[in-house]
Amino acid sequence: MNKKDFLVDLEDILQREEPCNASDVLDDYEEWDSLSKMALMAFFDKSFGIKLSLKDFKDLKTVEDIIKLAGEKIQ
Amino acid sequence: MISFDKNQLFIVTGASSGLGEATAIMLNSFGATVIAIARNANRLQIMKKKCRYPDNMHLEIKDLADDINDLPAYIKKLKEKYGKFSGLAYCAGITDVTPLKGLQLETIQKVLNIDYLAPIFLTKGVCDKRNNIGNKTSIVVVSSLSGIIPSKGMLSYCGAKAAIINSMKVIAKEYSALGIRINTVSPSDIATPMTQTGDVKSFVESRIMNYPFGIGEPNDVANMITFLLSDKAKFISGQNYVIDSGGVL
Repeated sequence: MNKKDFLVDLEDILQREEPCNASDVLDDYEEWDSLSKMALMAFFDKSFGIKLSLKDFKDLKTVEDIIKLAGEKIQ
Repeated sequence: MISFDKNQLFIVTGASSGLGEATAIMLNSFGATVIAIARNANRLQIMKKKCRYPDNMHLEIKDLADDINDLPAYIKKLKEKYGKFSGLAYCAGITDVTPLKGLQLETIQKVLNIDYLAPIFLTKGVCDKRNNIGNKTSIVVVSSLSGIIPSKGMLSYCGAKAAIINSMKVIAKEYSALGIRINTVSPSDIATPMTQTGDVKSFVESRIMNYPFGIGEPNDVANMITFLLSDKAKFISGQNYVIDSGGVL
């Protein structure tokens, strides 16, 4: 998956009115709550076969940090 | 007195007959704009003719079982066409009488699609905050007394109806922070086309003695749905209301 497609999917998962950018700070998103994180975990599992846990989200600062969790699955 | 504004948009599924028809007509008569969804275009047109404010009754032909995974996107398309929604009344339903010994996967799947999966995926679309008005959005799904009291031969229906009651409670918890209210209603047998045809009719007749006031009318349920969708029910969420004239007491 390319980065641009992922950003569109992320916008949908978070149900945001505004587009997501890689440099966005996650704590600035009102949608960035535990249910969104769990929805993102389900997305990573289904789309990339990557099983995340809530711990993986602890140190994330920006959208770019989420992209890094996918490793080479997001180019 | 319950009243709505024509800027309040409600989706009603199963709107061409039975509980859906009664609910669509009632919401419309109290001033709301209704997006009425059903499979049958002719019957939808007939329903529209009975409306108090036909200009505020919009018809959409759709088979909800066609592509359940796509239902949230379908809601998004409706939002782009009509505007943000104040709520959803899920009144589509199918029933089935097949005992375990005659059960095929296809039978139970068909019931699950309409009575369990479609309401969840439509709710997913309506709960998406890009598609609703936010605080004060209300969703009501029609379950059934069969979701609480099981009957022989109705394992698909009883299972789906029990499941939807509990799943909607989960969704009520997930979306309470956004001010979205979610409830289910569980009527006993109501005189609708679904209960008045074929095998189901004789089945229903065999258990009428369980309900003190006999068989219910569609408006008996539509009244409750309309109340729950209205602001008069602003403190009520995550509940299931049995409407059965006191039969299960």
